[in-house]
Amino acid sequence: MSRDAARQPPRGARSQSQGPRASSRMRAWGRHHRAMCLDSARRLLRHPLGSLLTMLAIAIALVLPAALWLALDSARVLDAELEESATLTVYLAHQVEEAQAGRINEAIGAHEGVARTRLITAAEGMAEFQQALGLADALGRLDDNPLPASVVVSPVDPEPEAVRQLAESLDDLAGVDEVRLDLAWLERLRHLAELGSRLALALGVLFGLGVLLVVGNTIRLAVESRRQEIEVVMLIGATHAFVRRPFLYSGAWYGLGGGLLAWGLLGLGNEWLAAPVRALAASYGATFQLPQLGAAGSATLLICSTLLGWLGAWIAVSRHLAEIRPR
Amino acid sequence: MIVFEHVGKRYGGRFEALANLDFRVRRGEMVFLTGHSGAGKSSLLRLIMRLERPTRGRVLVAGHDIARLHASQVPFYRRQIGVVFQDHQLLLDRSIYHNVALPLEIRGVEPREAARRVRAALDKVGLLHREKALPIELSGGEQQRVGIARAVVNKPSLLLADEPTGNLDPQLSADIMALFEDFNRIGTTVVIASHDLALITRLRHRMLRLRDGRLVADEEAA
Ligand SMILES: Nc1ncnc2c1ncn2[C@@H]1O[C@H](COP(=O)(O)OP(=O)(O)OP(=O)(O)O)[C@@H](O)[C@H]1O
Ligand SMILES: [Mg+2]
Repeated sequence: MSRDAARQPPRGARSQSQGPRASSRMRAWGRHHRAMCLDSARRLLRHPLGSLLTMLAIAIALVLPAALWLALDSARVLDAELEESATLTVYLAHQVEEAQAGRINEAIGAHEGVARTRLITAAEGMAEFQQALGLADALGRLDDNPLPASVVVSPVDPEPEAVRQLAESLDDLAGVDEVRLDLAWLERLRHLAELGSRLALALGVLFGLGVLLVVGNTIRLAVESRRQEIEVVMLIGATHAFVRRPFLYSGAWYGLGGGLLAWGLLGLGNEWLAAPVRALAASYGATFQLPQLGAAGSATLLICSTLLGWLGAWIAVSRHLAEIRPR
Repeated sequence: MIVFEHVGKRYGGRFEALANLDFRVRRGEMVFLTGHSGAGKSSLLRLIMRLERPTRGRVLVAGHDIARLHASQVPFYRRQIGVVFQDHQLLLDRSIYHNVALPLEIRGVEPREAARRVRAALDKVGLLHREKALPIELSGGEQQRVGIARAVVNKPSLLLADEPTGNLDPQLSADIMALFEDFNRIGTTVVIASHDLALITRLRHRMLRLRDGRLVADEEAA
């Protein structure tokens, strides 16, 4: 209601406070953000146990989907490796001679969609078989080699559908008895991974909602306990954004704390499971590492948890502010 | 400055708290608002603060119909009005200094400038030496003065006060009214609701008398 304002409020009312120098307003805004960020942290520290419990609840809600996601991630790595080694075995007819087998091998090698081939003659096949099973003696006594010659084919495109088509066309070649493709288990793994990723998504959404509820409830109580203060500042011209700000920072702190705890819990879980997993993998003659979150994964976890906390607070405060009307 | 045009206010659709109020307050005026308990004094002030909207007529402040302000503009409108509440509405967990600084904090005034203005306001109400105290450590009269300091720290051009001398002894009440007169003297428009007739008749300012929500007398300063 200065003279300027008298000429042109309500816009004048704003322009007066927005001032001619936007930079000073930006500084004021930044100052308030900093102040509220620190103030809300101090408020959390004033009730360390209560804050810790809230963060723990958030952490627990985050650990399960995060762990599942990690497991899926390692399944994806495994899947890619397996795909790389996806091969077809083409068994040649028994009556095919060794020279003829070489020609068929070349024909297969020239076939569209075939990357590499490796011929295993009947004798080589027998040798491999004996070695693998340690049955040299028993089989050595057989007069006739019951194994046919075979060609191991690496396809260009390891997608199951492409491999299946390749198998069909190879089956039509002369001298080919049977094409075996062991895709069933690969597909089964895929289905499992798909199931797992949907499960992780559903759990993620569900537990994400859980985090929102935990933070929302905590913030609701905080708003309630500062109701008089909120009413007073609204009476003297605080905007909703101003009132909301400290609570949003509290929510973000809760989220960040919960995320850090979840990160710690995942690390502990990893330590806890590492030894048995290693032993199990060794018994299969494999080396398998439990998946680690890594820098990117850790950052994602912390950012997501902080954002969830912020969002939970935003929802809680906004719902409440609509109710609070200064007396 | 303030214009009421046939203003009526009903609460809950039936009860008529204010009816057909028609008056204006000029810039730089000092006006007392009086009447029995329940006459509608607080309701009238709440209309000016836009805590309520009239159910009839228009309230214009500085030429603008404040009912038309968008919700997002209301905070900026309120920043231009200093308000002293009967129950002073101080924040009990903050020092006197920080209570008075609150309107400046909301406006984003730079801290050094804010400190200067807070001290000036506290000095004006004679409480500079208590700036570190908490509100509960002060007497009723002192708390009321802190409320006044908070209302004027922004240098508002309009100052509203609802029973600012509610439970104070006559001497303190007179002191507080003198404080408002000081602000009026430097150009602030002041509207004070009070039922302390003995005191306000002595002060010789314009007086609006309400009875059952109606304006029954508008006495210019004698
Ligand atoms: N929010 C409300 N809802 C319903 N009725 C209300 C509301 N606020 C005030 N009233 C009614 O409006 C009438 C005027 O109230 P108001 O508070 O304005 O009176 P007052 O003159 O300030 O009285 P006092 O001197 O006791 O403070 C009263 O009868 C009151 O009951
Ligand atoms: Mg009243």
